[in-house]
Amino acid sequence: MTAGAEAGARRILAMGGGGFSSSVADAPLERYIASVSGAERPRVCLLPTAGGDADDQIGRFYRAFRAIAEPSHLSLFRLGTHPVSLREHLLAQQVIYVGGGSLANLLAIWRVHGLEEVLRAAWEQGILLCGVSAGSMCWFEFGITRSHGRSRSARGLGLLPGSNSVHYSSDPERRACYHAEVLDGLAPGYAVDDGVGLLFSGPRLVEVVTARPGARAYRVEAAGGELHETPLAPRLLEPVPGGVDGPVEIAEFRDARRARAEAARRRRGA
Amino acid sequence: MEAGNPLLDEYVLGLATTDRPRVCFIPSASGDADHYIERFYQSFTPDRCEPSHLSLFRRGGGRDVREHLLSQDIVYVGGGSVISLLGVWRAHGLDHVIRECWEAGVILCGVSAGSLCWFAEGITAFHGPAERYAGLGLLACSNTVHYDAERRREDAYRSALRNGMCPGYAAGDGAALHFAGQRLLRVVSSRAGAQAFRMRSVRGRVVRSPLRVAYLGEPQRAPGGPAPRRLQAVPAIAPAEMGSQRAVG
Repeated sequence: MTAGAEAGARRILAMGGGGFSSSVADAPLERYIASVSGAERPRVCLLPTAGGDADDQIGRFYRAFRAIAEPSHLSLFRLGTHPVSLREHLLAQQVIYVGGGSLANLLAIWRVHGLEEVLRAAWEQGILLCGVSAGSMCWFEFGITRSHGRSRSARGLGLLPGSNSVHYSSDPERRACYHAEVLDGLAPGYAVDDGVGLLFSGPRLVEVVTARPGARAYRVEAAGGELHETPLAPRLLEPVPGGVDGPVEIAEFRDARRARAEAARRRRGA
Repeated sequence: MEAGNPLLDEYVLGLATTDRPRVCFIPSASGDADHYIERFYQSFTPDRCEPSHLSLFRRGGGRDVREHLLSQDIVYVGGGSVISLLGVWRAHGLDHVIRECWEAGVILCGVSAGSLCWFAEGITAFHGPAERYAGLGLLACSNTVHYDAERRREDAYRSALRNGMCPGYAAGDGAALHFAGQRLLRVVSSRAGAQAFRMRSVRGRVVRSPLRVAYLGEPQRAPGGPAPRRLQAVPAIAPAEMGSQRAVG
């Protein structure tokens, strides 16, 4: 199943964790994003807001996407050195990728910069919205966040109906909180493991994919005072040719080698 | 936290009543940038204070933020985006906690965005074009920073004042405004020649009044001239005032 790239498709890929910011190789997810975008080399813009625009996350993003896309990023903390129009830049993309971190901070910062409205416009005009962890939950009505330390539910942008919880198998405290909240009346939704992505077209779930064998997603709902967890079998994505971890690691190696050579040149006074 | 210039750091530490004040750094405006947090710990060393920092991007479950901040002598807010800073603070209820700290007598200080945040409103130019923002409003006046370095801020500030922004203060790099309650107590600087101005609009025209700035470093003595007055001549804050609400911007 491949979603169309037509304008107005309103597509969101919500990933439970991992992706380019993980040490585990989720490179097939990046290839999948590029293929869903419908463009040969899509313009992909990272919003690293939830992580406080951490250099590390931004660096990993460029390493993961530069071979297959035209990557850029928007910093809402360090824009002063490189002023651009947030709206113009975002609406010129084919993919907007939201990095992980603090859901509460992400939404608060977007709100004060007026990004909620821009992202909704991007979604409506057919730009593929995607993200990992906080960058997944932000699209739903509710997410289970640890922004304040302990897990609790928080409101998202509400482009997608219901709730979302991430890092499902790797974060038992969050999982327990999600169960309790849904039993207590929180809107039902999706629980997602690291390395798994849910592709939505409008409000409809159209495909579940994963880069990791054995990783799962679940529909979580309450009925008759009991919690129901229905597994959703994901399609295992093709490993990236040339070794799953190859491209990123080799790029890192080359970067380090270039930097050493440059430093040596400077020392020689060349 | 100016590179190689500890004067303002020492001034702030000197405002505390204890020898080894508790100082908490809040780097929210920079997105909790690691290099900035490191710079804080290099500037505020354990031999002269008890440093800590508060990350709102990587919050553990353990520490009670309100309790921690209320137990400080000094809260130091780092620079970056004042818009993002205020957004993050509101998401964590820190705007209320900070006000409580101020009312309880904790010294609030900060640089750049960490100055702008205390005022009712002002001009930020962090995201390119200079624009108005609404701050926490602990100080019922307006503010702009990097005044000497960025012309666009001056133009935007003047225009905002003409359009009804409340009167306030423009500070150049190195200049610090020291308030006790709503009153500007004095202006000090870490750089000789740093400037600060009181600015207000009078019948549609902006009036800019230079403020006397006390340079905190050793005075440059002209050969043969009279010895200049040392800064120590500026009266220290009376102990009775130590519990009052202070902010250094």
